[in-house]
Amino acid sequence: MTEFDHENFMQAIGNADEINELLRRYGVKFGIYKNGVFNEQFFPFDPIPRVISSEDFSGIEKGLVQRVNALNEFLFDIYHDKNIVRDGIIPEDFIYISKGYLAECEGITPKNRVYSHISGIDLVQAKEGEWYILEDNLRIPSGASYPLIARELTRIAAPQAFSENSIVDNRGYAELLKETMEYSNCGGIRAILTPGRYNAAYFEHSYLAEHTGSVLVQNDELFVEDNILYQRTYSGSKTRIGVLYRRIADEYLDPLTFLPESLIGIPNLMEAYRSGNVGIVNAPGNGVADDKGIYYFVPKMIKYYLGEEPILKNAPTYLPFYEEDMKYVMDNLDRLVIKDVAEAGGYGVVFGSDLSKEKLEEFRKTIIAEPRRFIAQEVIDFLDLPILDNGETVMRKADLRAFVLTGEKTKVWASGLTRFSRNPDSFVVNSSQGGGFKDTWVLSR
Amino acid sequence: MKRVDFYYSTKLTFDDYVHDHSFALRIIPLGTDTQKILSCDLNITPYVSVKQTVDAFGNNVTAGYLKGDHRFLDFEIKGTAEVDNTRHRIDFLPCYLYQSQYTHPDEMLYTFYNDIKTECTGTVRDRAEYICNMLSDHFRYEQGNTDTSTTAAQAFLKGKGVCQDFSHILIALLRMDGIAARYIAGLAFCDGETHSWVEYWTGDHWESIDPANNCPVNDDYIVLSQGRDFRDCSIDRGVMFGRHTKQLQLVRSVLS
Repeated sequence: MTEFDHENFMQAIGNADEINELLRRYGVKFGIYKNGVFNEQFFPFDPIPRVISSEDFSGIEKGLVQRVNALNEFLFDIYHDKNIVRDGIIPEDFIYISKGYLAECEGITPKNRVYSHISGIDLVQAKEGEWYILEDNLRIPSGASYPLIARELTRIAAPQAFSENSIVDNRGYAELLKETMEYSNCGGIRAILTPGRYNAAYFEHSYLAEHTGSVLVQNDELFVEDNILYQRTYSGSKTRIGVLYRRIADEYLDPLTFLPESLIGIPNLMEAYRSGNVGIVNAPGNGVADDKGIYYFVPKMIKYYLGEEPILKNAPTYLPFYEEDMKYVMDNLDRLVIKDVAEAGGYGVVFGSDLSKEKLEEFRKTIIAEPRRFIAQEVIDFLDLPILDNGETVMRKADLRAFVLTGEKTKVWASGLTRFSRNPDSFVVNSSQGGGFKDTWVLSR
Repeated sequence: MKRVDFYYSTKLTFDDYVHDHSFALRIIPLGTDTQKILSCDLNITPYVSVKQTVDAFGNNVTAGYLKGDHRFLDFEIKGTAEVDNTRHRIDFLPCYLYQSQYTHPDEMLYTFYNDIKTECTGTVRDRAEYICNMLSDHFRYEQGNTDTSTTAAQAFLKGKGVCQDFSHILIALLRMDGIAARYIAGLAFCDGETHSWVEYWTGDHWESIDPANNCPVNDDYIVLSQGRDFRDCSIDRGVMFGRHTKQLQLVRSVLS
């Protein structure tokens, strides 16, 4: 960190206004649903980058590659022989009660056995400098386009910052993503499937399609014939799709396999996939591996599948499902953070310290009634990062979403999405909860 | 062992032209340890190219896509099988132990189970038969009260239903009792349409039971598909486009 001169940078960049104005003009938006109404909000950008030293990054990198490789092994195992359950490492209940487990995917082996092509792993750095994994996102992690475009604009606004500091170029993301998609290509063009412009991440879908040379498609131009996925063209001909980076949830993918009422899916896509005629990025059924309840077992998976000690630690986690942990949770509820395993996007996260005495008692009963539904974690004292607030530098909580891509090899993108909480008292940084983002700079030396 | 000729047909008729019609059929019987398929012909009209796969639950899936305008889709199977229920099937999946979309119990089903569980003892077979008897005493066969979307809990509340409802409720109760169970869709001598029954896992193989008739399953049954519940066993699922407002489905099945 010492290699980076903050003051100098701040002078170079002046004020965030210019970049925010550019972002607005480029249409970088983040949609959220509030009270059932879709609002496309501007996702606030803070110009002060998070800077990660080259040494620090190489440690994170090794840890993330190890973790994602183990998670991929786990997914193959769960949808085939289930050895990890048979050997008693993970209790059966945690697999089959998980909403992310899809029995429909039993026995399917995706091309080259890659399940999690694009993994968004959320980490935090504690005050003492150590990094902890907060959660894994192996379904459709979003957000990679934000640091990409922010970097582009910062480069325009403050070119000196890049000549004076040795920052790893993050423009390689598109190439990395293309490589990853190609590795799972079953013969045909690359396509990115979006549910449409009212989706929270529509901006990102179009951005990534453009930068990876993929076609951006919606379901009404796709069909499956003879178990092959095609795009219909205006001239009435058809183009075969070999790999589909889908940005819609599993349940909506194929109305003939999953939710029959899905209007955004492709009928018989799963038949084409099972037949090995199309790659689906990420694989359906991955939710069983990024379930908050399964998170607890990831360090055990690393030992089980890879025979290695985990390089990156989980935040200390307790499962009320285990009697011993339940006792600890009951005794320390007022200082733990409790997460509902069924929720995502920062919803269903409760800090014991925020609850009144009555609420705490009520919550205690809920946990006892449904122990499998919750995990409890120690509150990690995150490292605060500086952000600009009306021209002043203030300190706020922030996390890091690292993007780990698995093609022939598993690689970590040397950048990432740093999200911060704009509320000084909050630890919740999710964009759907009104947080902002920063670019993440990895120094090359 | 018994040699059985089977025939099954569905005629789908629409009140206006439809197009871009994708479908997935589960009508080709499984070749298993208990039923050997000696022959099976599938006919679909209008002509459409189809592909076969085997799904997660072991079912034969026939997938097709009919692009042009059409007002009907008919499909039929005709064939011969050798059925021998003295043999056993062992294709297990752990998900059969867990409640699924159609079988999630409500308070009423829990209460019913709690009331009968003290008497429910012995081997898995004893328990399954006991639960099936209790269900038979409390639930009546009557058509017209439920449909294919009715869950076990909804049907149980009504107190009457058809074979699908019997199967769902029995599966729910068996799973509550810690017995893995699966839904079977197929053809039976006693039925003019399709029939449904249940298989439960004894610990090393599947046993069949027919809750709607409260009887064991003999060699007069042909399995078409199996799964966690009706959702995995739909004979035909389809998505189509057009201005049609109605679809009429005629089903016929014959075993001889």
